Order: sequence, then C-alpha cells, then structure tokens
Amino acid sequence: MAEIKLNNLTKRWGEFVGVDSQSLHIKDREFLVLLGPSGCGKTTTMRMIAGLEDPTEGEVWIGDRMVNDDLPKDRDVAMVFQNYGLYPHMTIFENIAYPLRARGVAKSEINPRVEKAAEQVELTQFLDRKPKALSGGQRQRVALARAIVRTPKVFLMDEPLSNLDAKLRVTMRAELKHLSRELQVTTVYVTHDQIEAMTLADRVAVMKHGVIQQLGTPDEIYNDPANLFVAGFIGSPAMNLINGSVEGGEFVTTGGTRLVKLNTADRDKAILGVRADDMNVHGAGQGDIDVKIYAFENTGESTLLTVQWGRQRVIARGDRHLRKEQDDVVGISLDADHLYLFDPETEDRIRI
Amino acid sequence: MRDNTLKYLLVLPAVVVVFATAIWPLIEAARLSFTVGRLNRPGSLEQYLGWENYTWAFLEEPAFWNSVWVTAVYTVLTVGLTTILALGLALLLAPGGRLRSSAQTLLILPFAMSPALIGVSFRFMFNPEFGLFDAFFGVLIPPLADVSWLADPNLAFAVVVMADVWGWIPFLTLVLIGGLASVPRDTIEAAQVDGASGWRVFRDVTLPQLGPVLAVVIILKSIFSLKTFDQVFMLTNGGPGTATQTLSHYIYFNGMKYGQIGYSAAVAWLMVIPMIFLTYAYAKFVFRKD
Ligand SMILES: Nc1ncnc2c1ncn2[C@@H]1O[C@H](COP(=O)(O)OP(=O)(O)O)[C@@H](O)[C@H]1O
Ligand SMILES: [Mg+2]
Repeated sequence: MAEIKLNNLTKRWGEFVGVDSQSLHIKDREFLVLLGPSGCGKTTTMRMIAGLEDPTEGEVWIGDRMVNDDLPKDRDVAMVFQNYGLYPHMTIFENIAYPLRARGVAKSEINPRVEKAAEQVELTQFLDRKPKALSGGQRQRVALARAIVRTPKVFLMDEPLSNLDAKLRVTMRAELKHLSRELQVTTVYVTHDQIEAMTLADRVAVMKHGVIQQLGTPDEIYNDPANLFVAGFIGSPAMNLINGSVEGGEFVTTGGTRLVKLNTADRDKAILGVRADDMNVHGAGQGDIDVKIYAFENTGESTLLTVQWGRQRVIARGDRHLRKEQDDVVGISLDADHLYLFDPETEDRIRI
Repeated sequence: MRDNTLKYLLVLPAVVVVFATAIWPLIEAARLSFTVGRLNRPGSLEQYLGWENYTWAFLEEPAFWNSVWVTAVYTVLTVGLTTILALGLALLLAPGGRLRSSAQTLLILPFAMSPALIGVSFRFMFNPEFGLFDAFFGVLIPPLADVSWLADPNLAFAVVVMADVWGWIPFLTLVLIGGLASVPRDTIEAAQVDGASGWRVFRDVTLPQLGPVLAVVIILKSIFSLKTFDQVFMLTNGGPGTATQTLSHYIYFNGMKYGQIGYSAAVAWLMVIPMIFLTYAYAKFVFRKD
C-alpha cells in the first residue's frame, strides 16, 4: 500500500509528445481513473508507473521511493493488461500462480493463495484449463486473479473491461468495484469509458493530448467541469453546447434568442453549456422558449428530445412517460442553477 | 467438373517435375542399391545381389561407421552451436532487443555465400602461410602461430564445424527474429511486472512460446547438417585421413571416385531413413494447425 507521485512526467518519441509534463499525486488506497479519448497518453502514463516505459523527463515515486531506475519486477506493482497478457502455454492455475513463483513464495503457500484468488473471481472450476479454452470474460477474470493473488503496493489496470461485451462489462464493473473496496490497494485504472470512470473512481483525471485537464471526484468533473473539453467528454448524452454571446446580463444565441439571465460581464462570444437533464420539458408556451421536436427517442428509462433551437439542435431529457411526435412543439426551460459558460477561444470555463 | 479438371491440370507440371527430379532418382537409387552396380563393369547395373551392399556397409566397412560417427558428431555440434548462437543474436536484434538496425543487414551476408565458397574462403583463412585467422591466432596466442589447422584431425574438424556455423547463423537468426516478433509483447511485459528476472522471463515465457519456431529451426538445421557435403569437399576433402568425412562425402567418394554405384546407392538410402523422420517432423511443425 502506497501513494504514487508523478513529478513533471514526460514521454516524447522524437518530436511527438505522448505525455506532457504530468504531475499527479495519487493517495494511498485511492482508486484513481485516468480518463480520456484514445491516444491521449493514458496507457503511456500507466506504463511509466509500471516501469515498462522509460520517462523522457520527470520522476515516478511509489511510496517514499523514487522508482525511475527500478525494473518493473522491483516496483511491487500488479498490472492487468488490455489484452490480458495471459501466458498461453500455462494453465489458469499456473497463470495465477506465476507472480508468486517468480517472487519465490514458498510452495506450500502457493496453492491456498491461488485458490483464494480464483474463488474471489469465481474461476475455481477452470484452474486446469489453458487460457485458449476460456471466454473473454473468464480470461479477464484470470488477469484479475493474477493481479490480486499478491498484495502489491499498486494495482495498474489498462482498460480491463474494454474487450468485453456490453452486458458483461456492467457485471464486471460492479465486481471490480466490490473487489477494490475489499482489497483497499492504491489503484490506477485507465479507461476511455466515462461511465466506468464515474462509477469506479474515487477521483478521475481527465486527459487530452498528454495533459491532465481536470482532476477531481466523479461529482466534481460531472457537475463542475473545468473546461469545454471536460464538459463535452463527460455525460451521456453529451452536454449541449450553445454558441452565442452575453449581452446586458443575458445569454443570446447566435440566432438572436435571449435565453437566460447570467450574472457576468458582456462578451462577444461565449458558449453556454447545459446538460440534457437540466433542460425541463413543458407543454407549448409554458417554458422559457417554444421549440419544435426534431427527433423523439424513448430509451425506456427516460425520453430524449432533440429539438431545433434556431440554427442549433440540443437534446433535452424528458419524463419516461412523456410521449411526443416529431414536429410537435414543446416548451423548454433551463435550470438556472446548472448552467456553464465557456470561452470559445481558450475553451476555459467562465465562472458565473 | 471443368474446374476440377483444370485444378489437376494446373498442379500437373509441378507433380511431373517433382517426380522426375526427386521421386524417380530415389526409386532408381533404391533399385541400384540391390545391384553389383560398378561403373567400370558393364551389365553390373542389372546384376542383383539382394541385401549384400547393406550388410557390407554394416559389417565389413569401418569407414562407413567412421562417416556415420563424423556425421553424427558434426550434426550435434553444428545444430547445437548454430541454434544457441542464432538465438542469442536474435534476442539482441529483435524489436526491443539491445542491438538493431544495420547489424541486421550485415548479418544476412554470410548466408548469401554458397557453402562451397565458404569452404574455399575458410581454407584460405586457415592457410598456415598467409591465412587471416592463422595470422590472427598467431598474434593473439603465439604458441598457435605454427599450427597447421587443417592438418590436425581434431582442428580440421573444428574448422569445418566453424565454417558451417558461420554460414548458417544469419538465416536461422532471421527465422528466430521472426519467431520472437510473434511472441505477444503483453505476455513478456506481464511477466516482468509479475516479478520475473530477465532470465526467468526468457525461460518461463519467451522460450515456451518460441518452441514451435525453435523446433522448426532445429529440424531444418539437422536436415542440412546431416547432408553436408560442399563445405567438407572444398575445405578438407574429408581429411586429414577420414577425420572429416561425412556420410555425403563418403557416398560421393565411393560412387564417383571408386565407381561403386550400387554400394553408394545403398548407403545413400540408409541416409534417407533419418531424413524421412526429420522431414515428417518438419512438415508437422510447419503445417501445424493454430
Ligand atoms: N512506442 C511508441 N512510439 C511512438 N508513439 C507512440 C508509442 N507508443 C504510443 N505512442 C503514441 O503516444 C500516444 C499516446 O498513446 P497511449 O498512451 O497508448 O494512448 P491511450 O492509452 O490514451 O489511448 C498515441 O498517439 C500513440 O500513437
Ligand atoms: Mg491505451
């Protein structure tokens, strides 16, 4: 158990910057998720923590030790690879036992520990098989068992659920969460899936182009995004981003509609962010503005209304019993407590 | 139907060529091995003896057993040395290895040379008067300055082995680099994180996954080592005495030099037997499923 500190960690390949001077302090026993679109440097960051990639600059600290010059085997971490990295020539038992064998754990201790780990991920009846004879979800659990068979200082998981089908992913996500709360080991978890990040993390680091955009609890990154990128990346459907300006304390869309009162100085260009959930749907004439429905979708647990708003389209979430047709007119009102304003040039949040 | 006919028609030329150049000579050699088969004795190619040529080789010819022994030792040494050295080089040169780049191009050079040429060039390099190696050894280890390498039975044998290993390393290294590249990097990195030392990663994870490729390398090299002829012919001509006389050279000597076609056909067939096993094993590994 240990904290992890990254100090100005940088990885460059020639001119190309994979990770750009990243500093991050991961607390002891924390479950930290690195979240970002593919290619933003999540895996590279994790590999530098594991020692599989040498940083171009900067330091990696695990506990109170600077581990830059330590081999992966000496860093006392366990890793779950995206493609699991199971040893194809070994049985499941041997796969799970390998970290113990490699570290010279006494033979008498290996059996009970492998069995306990296998039990925790419900693999007991497959111990004699080879990885080839298992399904994707089972292989994923072998990789997990191989990680938890020891108690390392740090768990590293690189998109461990991304190769599973949607249903299995939800089940495994809950299992992972349960397991992580039980084990209480510092964990760095990489994903591009914001739901995984929101559900698993104590804190999330949202990354883009090798730079952390925001570090915060799931609550903070969802409800208090630091910039346009985070606002647009987190949430499904994505936050509505409406182009316009601020004139006389009111947000005016590019189409000229005066929308809401904002307590901020005038500016020529601004982007108003509002989540689908914070747009309330009313009968025609009863909201702040009447709009025509471009598409009506019923997802079962709620309804999604894509509405034509001047020249832009925005999505509002309606009650699950709401029934409308395309081209119907509804009234929309914005929840003034949950609006976000951004500067389109710098993409920074403008606090209101 | 027409597609089917066409199919057979298209493979027919290949079948004909293989039959004419491989199968037919084998059958003809088998027939000759049961005849008196002396080139200088008219009609002897049709004069049947039964198994006498075979029993002669087994019971009456120490030179046959000598060449079997030479071939066996030669095969074990060259296969062992070439495989180990090629594997070492491949580990250094493979992606993620310590060396890379131009070394790979340089490496292929010896393989581009014909075995006969390798034989000739090694003979010159070990020439006691003006040989490169000879001069080299002379400077490094003065007592070796006056050794005539190819005149001593053991040293001559060592030189032939060396020439062969030198000529084969490049190709086998390339094959093994390919094999190493197909070992998933994930598994190697997983082992590193799991706490394995460099040597244990190699032993526990890389080597087992390289197994099938390594088997192909060993079998292929065994086939070529067993039938070594050109290098021996150019470098030592089997000598001094019969110290470096491989089976192929023995067959050539009896057949071409002494005109004992029947006898050498019999010995050649004795050599076919291990070859069949090796070829079968080779085919099994190369065409193995999954
Ligand atoms: N060995 C490498 N050489 C050059 N570029 C690389 C290498 N590894 C990764 N990259 C690049 O670095 C960037 C970040 O990669 P990665 O950390 O794998 O992204 P992520 O895991 O966030 O999808 C990508 O653009 C990728 O192409
Ligand atoms: Mg990745």
